[in-house]
Amino acid sequence: MRHAGFTWHDGALLAQGLAVSLGLFAGTFLIGLVLGSGAAVVRHFRVPALGTLLHTGLELLRNSPVLVQLFLVFFGVPALIHQPLTPVFAAGLTLSANTAAFVYFIAVAGLDAVGRDQVEAARAFGLSRVQLVRHILGPQALAFAVAPLVGLAVNQLQVTSLVSVIGVVDLTKAGDILNLRTLRPFAVWAMVGVLYFAAAKTLTLLGNRWERRLRAHAAPLGL
Amino acid sequence: MMAVEGVVKRFGAHTVLDGVSLTVAPGEVVTILGSSGSGKSTLIRCINGLEALDGGRITVDGLDVSDPRQLARARRLSATVFQMFNLYPHMTVLRNITLAPELVLRRPRDEVEAQAHALLASVGLAGKADSYPGQLSGGQRQRVGICRALAMNPRYLLLDEVTSALDPEMTAEVLAILGKLAARQSGGGGTTMLFVTHEVEFARRISTRIVFLDQGRLIVDLPTDQFFAADGGLAHPRIRQFLSKMAPAAPLAEIPA
Repeated sequence: MRHAGFTWHDGALLAQGLAVSLGLFAGTFLIGLVLGSGAAVVRHFRVPALGTLLHTGLELLRNSPVLVQLFLVFFGVPALIHQPLTPVFAAGLTLSANTAAFVYFIAVAGLDAVGRDQVEAARAFGLSRVQLVRHILGPQALAFAVAPLVGLAVNQLQVTSLVSVIGVVDLTKAGDILNLRTLRPFAVWAMVGVLYFAAAKTLTLLGNRWERRLRAHAAPLGL
Repeated sequence: MMAVEGVVKRFGAHTVLDGVSLTVAPGEVVTILGSSGSGKSTLIRCINGLEALDGGRITVDGLDVSDPRQLARARRLSATVFQMFNLYPHMTVLRNITLAPELVLRRPRDEVEAQAHALLASVGLAGKADSYPGQLSGGQRQRVGICRALAMNPRYLLLDEVTSALDPEMTAEVLAILGKLAARQSGGGGTTMLFVTHEVEFARRISTRIVFLDQGRLIVDLPTDQFFAADGGLAHPRIRQFLSKMAPAAPLAEIPA
């Protein structure tokens, strides 16, 4: 007999799917953050060849759909290397690189927004390039970049839903499974939507708190 | 000794410094005068390595600033106070002062912080250590800028139009501090100052020597009293013209002689 009602088991399935989505998001966003900002620093110091190479690669990633990138990695790369990739690996790779591309352009803008005077003061006082990035450029660029980064994070969290297409059992895939069994699409997709919303909202709140801390030195204008 | 030898600096087709030579010996307070665009600030920026030279040579205690390694060592001997303060806005006043001594001179944090507090107290900012630069007035910011430079215990202090962005009252605050500093240094062994300014009367009181830049050329280099003598600097028409156009002296009452 077909079992069409909701059970406790379904809750566990959704919770597991949510955990996969959040884990995939957290991991790939972190990797993207490191790679993207690293590339931005390379670009900022006008490292010849490497800077241009990174810029071109990341621009390609930013200007093509994530789904296409996902298919390219999951179906295209194995055909090339004659070696299958697991869905989770392909998803992790694609989302990390895609996040890096968006982080890169935000970080470049953030670094450019730091005044020349800051670099000159630090250099005149003898700070090395590494010290300059760590103590002067990095923190100030981050204060400029944090708002767009929080926006990006919320977006990338939702983009993880695409990985369900290649068979990763994330929150969307869990919803899909549930929907097929219960045939109650409105209830299922509303529930899945609420879970994504809750995760994104939490992320925004955390981001805003972080932004307030980073911008503590710049009191808001009381206009 | 800081030695500038035949320095040439161009921005595109425009020659900003056209064979400038100047030496500043330990204990001297040398003022660079000249109208805007004469190359004064560029000269300071060449000495602390912020501009690459197109000709000539600059050495600080024998270290050639065109060589990156020697420049790094030269920068530990000098400190700059900037026209627009250039404080780090995301750091507290205290951290602004202690950052370079800790990172560049590798001095222990306790010692540097104690010095920073003492310096802040000496410029009347004892209570501002934990404020951010954005919470201070322009005059207070520049006083922090001076503390930041002095915390490097520099042999050479480079001052680039440090009062140009300040109103007369704040200018007086800052000049009072520099006046005290120059008076203390004249005993010898202390900080040597190279001072770009438009405050002619102040320059007259604190400088041991005054040089005059005009369109990228150093046209006069004289001890202060001779610079203002009728048969010295004033004999030069360009300098007479410059001095006659300067505004009356800033309030000097608070500046110790």
